[in-house]
Amino acid sequence: MSILTRSGPPPRPQEIKVENFGPIKHAGIKFGHLTVFVGPQAAGKSVLLQLLKLLSDTSYIKKEFSRAGVDWSGEFASFLDVYFGEGMRSAWSDKTSIEQNGARIDLPGRISEKRPSRRESMFFIPAQRVLALRDGWPSAFNYYDASIPFTLREFSEHLRLLMSDFGSEGTLFPVPRRLKSEFRELLQSHIFPGFRLKIDTQRAQKRLVLTSIEQGGSLPVAVWSAGQREFVPLLLGLYWLMVPAKAPRRAGLEWAVIEELEMGLHPRAISVVMLMVFELMARGYRVCISTHSPQVLDAVWALQRLREHGAGGTDLLRVFDAEPTTAMVKLAENVMKKWVRVYYFDREGGTTRDITNLDPNAEEAGESGWGGLSEFSGRASEAVAKAVANSRQ
Amino acid sequence: MGFREEVEATPNLQGKWTAGLGALRAQDKARIKPENTSAKHLRGSVDIDSAWQQVEPQANRWDFAVGYKHVNRSDEFVYWVETHTGSDEQIKVMFRKLDWLKNWLKNAGKRLANFDRSFVWVPGGATSFTKGSTQVRSLAEKGLLYSGSTFRIPVTHEISKP
Repeated sequence: MSILTRSGPPPRPQEIKVENFGPIKHAGIKFGHLTVFVGPQAAGKSVLLQLLKLLSDTSYIKKEFSRAGVDWSGEFASFLDVYFGEGMRSAWSDKTSIEQNGARIDLPGRISEKRPSRRESMFFIPAQRVLALRDGWPSAFNYYDASIPFTLREFSEHLRLLMSDFGSEGTLFPVPRRLKSEFRELLQSHIFPGFRLKIDTQRAQKRLVLTSIEQGGSLPVAVWSAGQREFVPLLLGLYWLMVPAKAPRRAGLEWAVIEELEMGLHPRAISVVMLMVFELMARGYRVCISTHSPQVLDAVWALQRLREHGAGGTDLLRVFDAEPTTAMVKLAENVMKKWVRVYYFDREGGTTRDITNLDPNAEEAGESGWGGLSEFSGRASEAVAKAVANSRQ
Repeated sequence: MGFREEVEATPNLQGKWTAGLGALRAQDKARIKPENTSAKHLRGSVDIDSAWQQVEPQANRWDFAVGYKHVNRSDEFVYWVETHTGSDEQIKVMFRKLDWLKNWLKNAGKRLANFDRSFVWVPGGATSFTKGSTQVRSLAEKGLLYSGSTFRIPVTHEISKP
């Protein structure tokens, strides 16, 4: 049975086809409520996500550049450099073509035309998010030079704006009105054991610190664990998306992109982040994530198989070792009705493959090995099995 | 002696050797795919389960053996193949079958124990295991290779002789 047949209503169709853009020779993506990209480095996952952002928020992006005094002199190639990052003009060629929802997109034309600015519809949490807090405080869009991709500059700018919600000596975590109490407890346990995330002021400069709940004292970003350094900007990004109001989503936002959500995190912490991704889906965001973590695909595989076999929200929560409180069961049951898509980016061929079924028995190694993420485990087991079978000991 | 001769010299297997994958049931043949099926490589098969049913009717007997000559090995190689439902609750059954096979190879089947080998579980129907799962690792620890729905036998053997 197809994993899609037991889902709730499908999302509004959103489809993109890209040919000959950077490492991508041919990509065809149909987006679900959750869309997962896997594949080796430099296979085009991030390029495609940034392109999707550009298509979704063209006028907003141009307005942001204009506000910051970024001028590409009407040259499309220069625009590609300032948007995707320095050197990315070479990604575009005469053979590049883009289709969105069946319509051919004239991207150079769209960049040059004058249109009234619209609200941002996609919030993008980039893989390089740790750079947004490298000085212990998010920098303004203008702080970065033009070689830095728009998505990182904009993410940093959003975090800077978010800080104003918390006052000058505020606590950022745990905060009663931010996140479900279940998430706060899990994050406290798996990412901030014994710590609070706070704002303090050092020589008139605000900065983020972790303070020990028992012993006090402030730990600046430089001495946090790698996982905490990676997670805090992600947490702040999630704060941006999960507004502390009755509205489930921030006004105007429809999409949430998280690149490499597992970065620096222990598997238990990855489980918490996946549950928070589910929360985004339940709030009505269309979520796109890229990942190099087999655990993320394990979670998606379990979600789909549990649904296929009529299991409930409690069963899904068991996968994450999460308490089946009323709120969490409701969340899990909501998510089990959602549509999920998984795509493998094949660097050699420059193509994408729909591996949504995540069938461990699929003849296609890209699917059974889940886009390479479980290939190593498979080979390790195979080598051990053969060695044990032939052991004369 | 080769695979065929050793099969013929094994108790209760006389006359049971068949060419190609002839010893396998039709539905199982579809799950075993040798890259090269010429007699030069595919050295035949034998149905252990049927041959030993009379002798040990209550035992968890093993299904099949398939002889194969890889281009990069001087000796023939034997794939001990069991086609069986791929689910958690069947793991214990598979371990019993593997114990039976290993014991059989030490006794009645000892002539066939001289070949290098793989013990392969080819799951029938849907499976609940993934390649990176702890179940697959625990099977590997016992020497059991979990193949996925199709077991491919390559012309070149991938693992060097231990």
